[in-house]
Amino acid sequence: METQSEEQAVTKPADSGGEGGPSQVAGAQAARPEDRMTLLLRLRAQTKQQLLEYKSMVDANEEKTPEQIMQEKQIEAKIEELENEVEEAKTAFEMKKLALDRMQLSTALKKHLEKVDIKTSVLMDNMKQILNLNKLIMKSQQETWDLEEKLLDVRKKRLQLKQASERKLLEIQTEKNKQKDDLDSMENSDKIKAIQQNLETEIQITTVIQHVFQNLILGSKVNWAEDPALKETVLQLEKNLTMI
Amino acid sequence: MSALRPLDKLPGLNTATILLVGTEDALLQQLADSMLKADCTSELKVHLARSLPLPCSVNRPRIDLIVFVVNLHSKLSLQSVEESLCHLDAAFFLGKVAFLATGAGRDSHCSIHRNTVVKLAHTYRSPLLFCDLEIEDFRAAMAQRLVRLLQICAGHVPGVSALNLLSLMRGSENPSLEDL
Repeated sequence: METQSEEQAVTKPADSGGEGGPSQVAGAQAARPEDRMTLLLRLRAQTKQQLLEYKSMVDANEEKTPEQIMQEKQIEAKIEELENEVEEAKTAFEMKKLALDRMQLSTALKKHLEKVDIKTSVLMDNMKQILNLNKLIMKSQQETWDLEEKLLDVRKKRLQLKQASERKLLEIQTEKNKQKDDLDSMENSDKIKAIQQNLETEIQITTVIQHVFQNLILGSKVNWAEDPALKETVLQLEKNLTMI
Repeated sequence: MSALRPLDKLPGLNTATILLVGTEDALLQQLADSMLKADCTSELKVHLARSLPLPCSVNRPRIDLIVFVVNLHSKLSLQSVEESLCHLDAAFFLGKVAFLATGAGRDSHCSIHRNTVVKLAHTYRSPLLFCDLEIEDFRAAMAQRLVRLLQICAGHVPGVSALNLLSLMRGSENPSLEDL
């Protein structure tokens, strides 16, 4: 069922410059004291860390884990809860470390300032530079703020102008529509109809008169082509009045 | 055949041991060689295995980090890794296990979808690394990374523990998990 898996092992000794492996240091007379110290300190740090890990495992094992069988979703939710707890613990720790570092820094700074002559210290120069820069920053920020205010005002005015022009255009539109309506209504009014009626009657009368004159001249058997004035009159009579 | 337990043996002085599990022997061997060439102040021991459980007869040092190598080109490697995972003690998954997926570069040969491996890593709450182990430079870079990981898991770096590292690595992975 379970296949025996093959296993190979490969090893390699540490290869950092002057330091040798622990077994080599013991025997090597040529190893300089600093390197041995560094190695020892490093091993000390390592052992401390490993001890910490074992201790925390022991503490963790003392806590009883619930043995009941839970659904996978519940397990996932629980795992996320625990992960969040870990994250919170880490953040809290980092915050405390930060606060501690700040306190240490401020006491060290205080002690340093008490010792050192205030006028010539480089620290003072730095502080003065910082103050100058802060003043510049505040000034620039104020200028930025003023410019933004101006920009805002200009934009407001623009908006107002736009709205006013919109209103005017709307008025023009309504006026035009009113005119068109008036025109349309006028066309349909009775006065126009009466005038049109009269016009038609007059045109008919004139046409009849035209025809009468035409027939008179033709009937009189006069050669109207010879006399230019008569010719013009006859041709004018031919004009169709409805087309005017 | 016992399940592998972390911390059941005492650590060797200045020694860190990594176990590479995967079906592709050649790739594992190459990775092991790259790791041994990498710059490291501690002694490194690299163990290679095709699958777990490991035979109990061999006397081996405490294993600090287990890396499961999955080749995206072969379904067999994924299967064998999944079977091996059952033989691992739960305490290992607190930062001492990592998954390495290789072969993602040649998409046409991939028979396993990337998301499968991502889900696997997510289920086991372990970091997932991608690397084309066939390319020399990537392999060297990944070997360097694994060496650093190993140093932290072995407790050689003061102030950082495996669990700490796990939560640090998780931060950058979260965006991709929302795709699932």
